[in-house]
Amino acid sequence: MISARGLVKTYGAGRATRRVLDGADLDVAAGEVVAIVGRSGTGKSTLLHLVGALDRPEAGTIEVAGERVDGRSERALSAFRRRRVGFVFQFFHLVPELTGEENVLLPTRLPGAPRSAPAHGRELIERLGLGDAARRRPHELSGGEQQRLAVARALVLDPPVLLADEPTGNLDEASGAAVLDLLRSAATADRAVIVVTHEPRTSAMADRTVTLVDGRLVASAHGAVGGA
Amino acid sequence: MSGTAGLGAAVGRLFRGALSLLRSGRRRTVLAAAGVLVAGAMAGAALTVSIGLGGGFDRAAERSDLPDIVARFSGQDPARIRARIEALPNVADYAPRTEISNVRVRAADHETGKGALQLVDTDARRGYAIVEGRDLPRGGRDSSDALVEQGLARSWGLHVGDTIDVGRLGEVRIVGISIAPDNVAFPLATAARVYLSGPALEARFRGRLRVNQALVWTHDRSRTDVTLQQARATTYGVGNLRFVTRTGVRLIIDQAAGVVVALLVAFSLVALIAATTMLASQSASEVARRLPVIGVQRAIGVPRGTVAGEQALAAGLIGLVAGGLGVLVGALVIAGPSSDLLSALNETPPGGALVLPLAGLTLLLGAIAAAAAGWPAWRAAGRPPVALLRGGTLVEGGLRTRWRVRRELRADRRERPGRTGFLGLGAKLVLARPGRAGATVAVLGVSGGVILLMLGLASLLVALRDDPSAVGTRYALTVRAPDGGVDAVRAVPGVADAGERYEVRGADSFALGEPVKITAFDGRLDRFVNPPLADGRRVRGPGEVEIGTGLATALGLGTGGTLAVQLQNGGEARFRVVGTVRALQDDGRVAFARPDRLLAADPGLRPDIAVRLEDGTDVATVGPRLAAIGASPTKVGGATTSNKAFLDTLATVLKAVAALDGLVCLYALIQALALTARERRPTLALLRAQGAATPTVVRVLLGAGLVLALPGALVAFLLQRLVFSPLVSQLAAGYADLGTAASTGAVLGVTGGFVVFAVLAGGWVARRVVAEPPVHGLREG
Repeated sequence: MISARGLVKTYGAGRATRRVLDGADLDVAAGEVVAIVGRSGTGKSTLLHLVGALDRPEAGTIEVAGERVDGRSERALSAFRRRRVGFVFQFFHLVPELTGEENVLLPTRLPGAPRSAPAHGRELIERLGLGDAARRRPHELSGGEQQRLAVARALVLDPPVLLADEPTGNLDEASGAAVLDLLRSAATADRAVIVVTHEPRTSAMADRTVTLVDGRLVASAHGAVGGA
Repeated sequence: MSGTAGLGAAVGRLFRGALSLLRSGRRRTVLAAAGVLVAGAMAGAALTVSIGLGGGFDRAAERSDLPDIVARFSGQDPARIRARIEALPNVADYAPRTEISNVRVRAADHETGKGALQLVDTDARRGYAIVEGRDLPRGGRDSSDALVEQGLARSWGLHVGDTIDVGRLGEVRIVGISIAPDNVAFPLATAARVYLSGPALEARFRGRLRVNQALVWTHDRSRTDVTLQQARATTYGVGNLRFVTRTGVRLIIDQAAGVVVALLVAFSLVALIAATTMLASQSASEVARRLPVIGVQRAIGVPRGTVAGEQALAAGLIGLVAGGLGVLVGALVIAGPSSDLLSALNETPPGGALVLPLAGLTLLLGAIAAAAAGWPAWRAAGRPPVALLRGGTLVEGGLRTRWRVRRELRADRRERPGRTGFLGLGAKLVLARPGRAGATVAVLGVSGGVILLMLGLASLLVALRDDPSAVGTRYALTVRAPDGGVDAVRAVPGVADAGERYEVRGADSFALGEPVKITAFDGRLDRFVNPPLADGRRVRGPGEVEIGTGLATALGLGTGGTLAVQLQNGGEARFRVVGTVRALQDDGRVAFARPDRLLAADPGLRPDIAVRLEDGTDVATVGPRLAAIGASPTKVGGATTSNKAFLDTLATVLKAVAALDGLVCLYALIQALALTARERRPTLALLRAQGAATPTVVRVLLGAGLVLALPGALVAFLLQRLVFSPLVSQLAAGYADLGTAASTGAVLGVTGGFVVFAVLAGGWVARRVVAEPPVHGLREG
């Protein structure tokens, strides 16, 4: 489902240049949940952003669901993100002026979204038990409710890849567990899930954990880099 | 000593803090500076023109030593006139002058038959100022030395040292260029003035000049009326006598410039209000962004005053530097057109007198910027540090929010996501800051109202220039009576009515400085003139008169009073005032009557024929038919036919100011959208992360722009219709009904313009938003 080869990304300029990814490779199969761990500042989020086409690598290739990501125009990347990727962020990023349901349905308003998407979104809300939260606005909700709405939003267009960046970093244990359950259940036969995390409970839920060290991924538990 | 040192150290810290604030957000600093610069430029331009026009007459009058009274009469022996004038009370000085009109003047490619030679007594006061070259010398004996008025020099490209041909005198050399503000300049005034030495011409032609003008300076200008009363009593034997006073000239010029000055003062205020609201919203946004930093400052013990002081000082520095630069740019940009306008009025630019007001304006901009930034910082720093450390939330809790949520929930049940969803989202993003949105709508409304006012006035000026009906005149042509008289004219196809018209100019018998124009028709006056009645009734019989409100105000005359007019032949006609009318022509110093009393006072008066056309018939069609029966037609102008070019210039200035004001609107929208995009960077990044391409981002920002622009257009329309137009009509010409309301086309144009501005602003800001990878915005969440 996901294949990244030789990814390079640097930050800063001149003497302050720092290469956070230095030839990183990653393969993730459909139905698999992969946790990426590593110390702060090692480039875990950067890797996730490159795979999700939120940023561009300086070198390397990325293929997601049979579609090449690297070297494409911004317009093509927008369409790619809409069709192929759902994002979950640590700080939820719900739009404060919109209700929970409006937030979940936001991607369905994008040009090119399937006609059935709004109905699917409402069904998702019901299925996740977010009916009450959907009628409220974000500042009236708990962190757990907000993050579950954010997961619903990420899944509303039924993307083949779900990327989550520290999804439980701002949640208490119970709320975090509920969100992790959701992510686990999202890894269906046609979908891969990548989670960037610091937390052992999150990596424990994953099928496979990889560690980012010196700009490259190395295998940790449950499996090896480069395949399930 | 230690107290002073402590204060110095505190100020130093404040400065360092302010400078570090400015350095830490260079792009924000540049955006704020751009706003202040634009506002400063507009305010500077408006102030420059206002001061230029406001004091132009007084400056020029002082500089040119303008006499308090100019008497014009048919040629007289100089000694006789001198004796009469020296016998008058309150006379300080006197200069005789001979004016020879309709002289052919020629220079290189230019020629006019309307030259007005001013033969000056070089041993007396002059009543003009030299702006270039030298004056005619005292006792000058060189008849080939000449001065030309500045308007003529500019219009024909003449310089000191050039030569011109003057009638039978032949070639003369220009030794200086002069101005005298007793009239507008050539070519606005049809006569081209050339000054020559009277004694030199007397010597050359071995004759004695007869004088036809007397320039009189009084000891006490406020008692000029007494001098005039006495002069009238001693004018026996002096034919065609007319007086023009300095006060009268000033009144007329001030009324002409009054509209422009009032508008520009209003425009300066608009620019300042716009600058203040823009700065205030920008500062509030900046403070909201820095809330956590302010929280840390307060938590470690930084005093509230220091926090607010740093913010105020940083904004004040921007205000001073960018505002000063803007004021300078505005003053320089408008200096040329303003100088041209003043030259057209024969007035002088303010020069160094502008420095202090412009410096004051710069300080004001700095103070506004400091206050606009300091106040929100002061308020924010007053909150508990722990609340600040949590950061600012865009949506506050409380009653208002709960009410809004309930309302939205109700709306949500009705609505389903559609194609307008992102426009609506943009609107919500902007309305999340109701204070800023309101301020922007206010700026757009006020600026748009001024634009509508300018366009309305420009249209009015064009109408005044071209359309006699705009001043209550129903006839479009006048003709010399053909062989068949009025009946022959009435028989011409396209002519609705025709009647004899008498038009005479005179002066009020009790206040000789006040000019009066009387227009008389046989029978019902409203067949030919119908200015709105302000008071009383219409003329019904001989001996009755309707007077313009301008004349009523000048003479303190009302319904039931007596209007006594001294005619040019020396006779006097008296009328009973039965009504006052809102007439615009000749500043409202007009009167309408039947001709009986005029003919009794001056039996030599000859009428022409006023021709009213049928509806839908134009002058171009009827004119040749009238010419065919021997009645050569003259088109009737609007307010004044001799000042068409001046009215054109004014209309152009007004349209230019409207265009400048449009830039304020565009800037206000760009600024509001840029601040929204800056504040909502994570939201826009999130949209892009979900696959929203550039058109979707544009749609969001367009929605944000439209929710400001459309209410702005509505406010503009209401302000112009209910406040600006009535106010300016009253300020500019209380003596007339000024139709300054903008046309439907102008209203639609401004609304359309606002929509276009919203599109432009949305597109520009969206381009900046999508120029960065979405991940940058997401990191701010």
